[in-house]
Amino acid sequence: MLFRRIYQFLIVYIIGISFLLMIKMGLSLSDYVIPGVPLILETAGQVFKEYFFDVMNTMSVAVLGQCLSIILAFTVGISGRKSSWVGSFIKVTAYNIQAYPIVALAPIIFILLGDGFIPRLLIASMICYFPLLLSVLGIMATPVADIEHFYIVTGRMRWQLEVKIRAFENLSKLTTVISGSATLAMAGTIVAEFIAANAGIGYSIRIALYQSDLAKILVALFMIGIIISIYQGILETMGEQIKTRWSISKGGEVL
Amino acid sequence: MRKKLFLFLLFLLVLVCATPSFAKGTQLNYRLKWLFNASVAGDIYADAKGYFSDVGLDVTVKEGSPEKNAINELELGYADFGVASADQVIRALDKGAKIFVIAQLFQVNPMQWIYRTDQPEIKTLQDLKGRNIGITFGGNDETIMNTLFAKGGITKKDVTITGVRFDFTPFFMRKVDVWPVYRNSQGVILKSKLAREGEDVYFFNPADFGVNFVANSVVTSEEMLKNNPDLVEKFLNALLKGWEAAMDPENGEIVLEAVKKLDKSTNDVIRKKQLNATRDLIKPSVSIRIGTIDISAWKQTEVIMLKEKQIKKPVNIETHLIQVK
Repeated sequence: MLFRRIYQFLIVYIIGISFLLMIKMGLSLSDYVIPGVPLILETAGQVFKEYFFDVMNTMSVAVLGQCLSIILAFTVGISGRKSSWVGSFIKVTAYNIQAYPIVALAPIIFILLGDGFIPRLLIASMICYFPLLLSVLGIMATPVADIEHFYIVTGRMRWQLEVKIRAFENLSKLTTVISGSATLAMAGTIVAEFIAANAGIGYSIRIALYQSDLAKILVALFMIGIIISIYQGILETMGEQIKTRWSISKGGEVL
Repeated sequence: MRKKLFLFLLFLLVLVCATPSFAKGTQLNYRLKWLFNASVAGDIYADAKGYFSDVGLDVTVKEGSPEKNAINELELGYADFGVASADQVIRALDKGAKIFVIAQLFQVNPMQWIYRTDQPEIKTLQDLKGRNIGITFGGNDETIMNTLFAKGGITKKDVTITGVRFDFTPFFMRKVDVWPVYRNSQGVILKSKLAREGEDVYFFNPADFGVNFVANSVVTSEEMLKNNPDLVEKFLNALLKGWEAAMDPENGEIVLEAVKKLDKSTNDVIRKKQLNATRDLIKPSVSIRIGTIDISAWKQTEVIMLKEKQIKKPVNIETHLIQVK
């Protein structure tokens, strides 16, 4: 899973670079517009260490933001799974708010909170929270009739059990959503850094953009891609392991 | 059926042949460096008053922005002429771009720093010590300020550096003492806002301390200059005619009207002040002809960038400066 993610990214990255180089050769562009391979490698040598720590900085904010949004999405999703008026209210509110582009709020957040860790965390959480919430709401609000029926008729159904059943039956879907939200959290953090933060890889990309240094941007994209692939691969592997353990503990087969 | 097809093809042929006779003139794209406002009054005025069409040119003046880069557009063929800052030009030459500077619009760099008058005036570079100075990391103000520090023997321990963006809140809240602004656009707005609060400001101009970092200039590609020298001359003459007229105080009201059509978000008072501030930077004295390339300032800019390791090798900038007559 992990290696598949990495080589998938490498293939996409190499195709992208090749495409740029083809344009460069086709239009005889200078290194200022599209850098050649030697310049990209030279730049990578110069900024690799700095960008690595920048990406790790961004990643740490993104992971924290994602954890916050997962906790929040599950809390709200579980509360909103019922077809009561509270559940309906939560669902309608979530659907309406998620339609608003969160990035548009970023400047206000930065004006109020200034540069720093909190605004980045807030924007990262907000960007990955709503897609997560909608998925969790969808999963938690859909009964697994075959299994739940047994517990309902035997009078053993409790809300914790209901949540467990629905989560287990949709574990693949949840893993995919959580893994996918990692990209959103990372994108959110980078956007936040790009707009107004004073640290992280988004901030470095903005500086490179000021200097029209595409080589630096390409190196930054490589670092972001590799690290997020590893992170997503780890999340997916963890999801598989959780599913396997649950199956064993329930007397099921090893998946 | 064949007859219909023949007629259709004939119609297409007539249409294609007729098109040039309807064209207004040679079509050109001119990419500005910044948004439409009074700081590009000459570019707007040249277009609005028909100076380009008078010489048979159909010029589309395109608004700039931080993300748009005229040099990239010249190479990609999206623009024929553009406005770029000196650091952009020198960086591009360092990376092999084939471009030439054909006019220098700003004789005085609008990139300056604003600070309140309740603070001691910066009379020597030593007066920068102990202040919280705003810098756009990666921007040319960082290069300029670093040069000033080196010139004044100021180390990073002597000052507090704060990274800044377009949001002026840290300056309003006095978290940053000295804030980088474009003297003729943001500088005017900030000064007016602070004046409403009963505060006055100074501007710290690096040129007063011997650092002449060239700002916006008109650039074109080597190909254009070689293959169409007449076109370059026509374009530049029309453009500079526009700038000369726009900077003439007698034309002030007409110029402001032309700018207003494209810059609706700025109020009339600010726009007028911006135009006055721009005039001082474009034509600081009557004897200076607009567009004059200050070769020594360009050389100094190159030296600064080399020292600051913004470029790897000398680019011999003087060989890329063409003063079109």
